[in-house]
Amino acid sequence: MIQSSSIASSYSPPFSIVAKYFIAAILSFVMMNLMLMINYNDINGHHFQPKILSITHIATLGFITMIIFGAMFQLVPVVLEVKLFSTLLAEIQFWIYLAGVIGLVYKFWYFGSGLSFTLPAILLNAAMFIFAFNVITSMIKVKSWNITGTFLAAAIFWLIVTAIAGILLAVNLDHPYIKIDHLQYLKLHANVAFIGWVTMVIMGVSFKLIPMFTLSHGYELTLAKWAFALINFGLLGINWIMHYADTGIYNLIFGITITLGLFLYLIQIFIIFKKRIRKKLDVGLKFSAVSFVMLGISTLLGFSFLFFEYENYTNLTLIYGFMIIVAYISTLIVGQMYKIVPFLVWYHNYSGKVGIEKVPMLKDMFNEKLADYNLYLMLMGIALSVLAFLLQLNLLLLIGFATLFVSSLIFSFNMFKVFRS
Amino acid sequence: METNEISKELVINIIRTVIDPEIGINIVDLGLVYDVMIEGRTIDITMTLTTPGCPMHGSIIDWVQRIITMTIPDSIVNVNLVWEPKWTPDKMTAEAKQQLGM
Repeated sequence: MIQSSSIASSYSPPFSIVAKYFIAAILSFVMMNLMLMINYNDINGHHFQPKILSITHIATLGFITMIIFGAMFQLVPVVLEVKLFSTLLAEIQFWIYLAGVIGLVYKFWYFGSGLSFTLPAILLNAAMFIFAFNVITSMIKVKSWNITGTFLAAAIFWLIVTAIAGILLAVNLDHPYIKIDHLQYLKLHANVAFIGWVTMVIMGVSFKLIPMFTLSHGYELTLAKWAFALINFGLLGINWIMHYADTGIYNLIFGITITLGLFLYLIQIFIIFKKRIRKKLDVGLKFSAVSFVMLGISTLLGFSFLFFEYENYTNLTLIYGFMIIVAYISTLIVGQMYKIVPFLVWYHNYSGKVGIEKVPMLKDMFNEKLADYNLYLMLMGIALSVLAFLLQLNLLLLIGFATLFVSSLIFSFNMFKVFRS
Repeated sequence: METNEISKELVINIIRTVIDPEIGINIVDLGLVYDVMIEGRTIDITMTLTTPGCPMHGSIIDWVQRIITMTIPDSIVNVNLVWEPKWTPDKMTAEAKQQLGM
């Protein structure tokens, strides 16, 4: 006879919802790497080019944000101990969002075609507002709040700011009306997207997942709180000054504030890693460690841009964007997927069989050796590509992108293996 | 049918078969099981998890209950999940520590 226990209950949403987002994201990731490889000739010079904008958006919307949506539907209920407000809304959001991503990526690719930028932007905004509504409505019911919740709430605010900035830029491309430089607003859109939305999510989630995976104990989260304050203050400042043609000294002040916040975050993560009990890092955590180093390099690069006209140097903006999207964010996501997806599939397929039949360990659900190659090839691809950008060698760029593409195929093969487990 | 008395040792050995699938170590050696009290056919288990908000939350408790009732069918199992005292690494057995490379 079994009696129910005091606080045990399941808050997780249906597996099919999360899986849908994850599979779409994995396919987008492979697609992004393929698009880079076949267009290596067009990936140089100024960043405002149709192919580069198209690839950037399949990366940011199709891969990164898609995976964050799926992960948050899973994580918010578990970490904050609250049920998701509506799984139906999460389902509806997926299809609207997917249509928006495909529409926008297609339109950037065929920049001159008669299609509109505004229509996909409306779809994306609708999906993001549905997401924000769904998650915030869930968060309101949370009984015991924690630091992860605070970071996620701020991230959702910045997601909406990014979406609104995005739709304004889309309308401007269809019917120009922005009086100040379009590229200045693009910079705002990108800063808010990468620092406010993506990095804020990564920070909040990392305070929960990294200690859980490494069994880290006995540290304070003081630096995390300072990082939160500094980065959000800096972002608010940037949103204010970007509406003026001359941003003067303020750009420097808010830029330094954000840089400081990011470095405090990195020190916090370093402390958590240092206090870990599981000394040996598995492949998922090796990816994550690499990612944090890449975030450090990207932050230094961004900081240096406060002091000179970086757009005058060929490919420097491209290196910066590549470092953020591929070296920092993609490595982190790939690594965390090696931890999260096996767990979700295991939970779905085997949790009910514990004690009844033999169940696998999480690391047995994918090929670990291949995952190691995945990491090494990705690192090699990143190094070769950055070198090729610096030296402006097209052939080397092709080799770099091809290496990354092979690495993305290995990743999707391993994920496929997990889903089939 | 006459039933044998349930011993604490037996219950702990049964729980020892519940392995954390992420860490690969059983929950007894991880030091997650704080107390086992037996009164007649009623088994009260007090345990924790390494971190609050652990996604294994509901499942580990279900497994503990299921495994005990499968082995001792006429028992009544209560699992009480507590966060105080907080789990710390020094609650692990020497063997578990060694497995983690401490």
